[in-house]
Amino acid sequence: MALNLVHRHVLDDHISGFETGKNPNHLSVARRPVIFSVLALQGRDGDVGAALSSVAGFSVRCSGPGEWLIVSDTIGPEAAAGALAAIDGATFADQSDGKVLMALYGPSARKILAKCVAVDLHRDVFAKGYSASMLCCQVASNVMRTMDDQFEIILPRSYAGFVFETMMEMGREYALTAGFASP
Amino acid sequence: MASLITCPHCGVRPKEEFSIRGAAGPVRPSPSARQEVWHAYAYVRDNPKGRYQEYWHHAGGCRRWLVVDRDNVTHAVFAVIDATEWHKTAGSRI
Repeated sequence: MALNLVHRHVLDDHISGFETGKNPNHLSVARRPVIFSVLALQGRDGDVGAALSSVAGFSVRCSGPGEWLIVSDTIGPEAAAGALAAIDGATFADQSDGKVLMALYGPSARKILAKCVAVDLHRDVFAKGYSASMLCCQVASNVMRTMDDQFEIILPRSYAGFVFETMMEMGREYALTAGFASP
Repeated sequence: MASLITCPHCGVRPKEEFSIRGAAGPVRPSPSARQEVWHAYAYVRDNPKGRYQEYWHHAGGCRRWLVVDRDNVTHAVFAVIDATEWHKTAGSRI
């Protein structure tokens, strides 16, 4: 018997059917993100970090000493795995299915996110391009400031529904809308 | 309890991101040590009042083991270092 596996995003049930248009404050969920976790072998942190940031198409997020998350919009999972395998001293794992990537943007993005994390998000401290692991809505996540008023959050798939609902609640006073990012 | 901990890797973080894993002072005996020594290490612990060092695991952040030097009466935090640094200097403390 032929088995057809249909790809469903974990947030499909949370998002579909309710929203109409985008408001200025918007939570955009990536449908098929490419996310890899990378660990450096002992003592190779510097080499691996430099090699990762030199790969075109990789967005590198720091998640601890010698540990990174790689996100790519332009490179497919196979090509990304190939590029990572070429880096000496790095071990990696494909996390694309286990993580959810969402981008929170708009004029009130910082105010909304500040209600979800207990970290100072002022642009002097948490500058553009800065990323760190932290608790977001009590869930261990990785947060990066990609633009002045845009943050990207990577969180475990199993908690994505809870974080999504909480974040929408936090954004209600700012008319936060949500939807899947257009491919 | 000290509510803000300055992680050497992540910066200032709330205590909710950490889990406290016990005193960092006792030195783990060798695997071949006598039963009494292991019993003392595992079960016979002090309950100090004042300044002491504790293992904190940064579960919600960088997931590194840290040693927090703090005072459990005044809640003052004197230092937070990575546990690998703590073990490198173990010889100088004994």
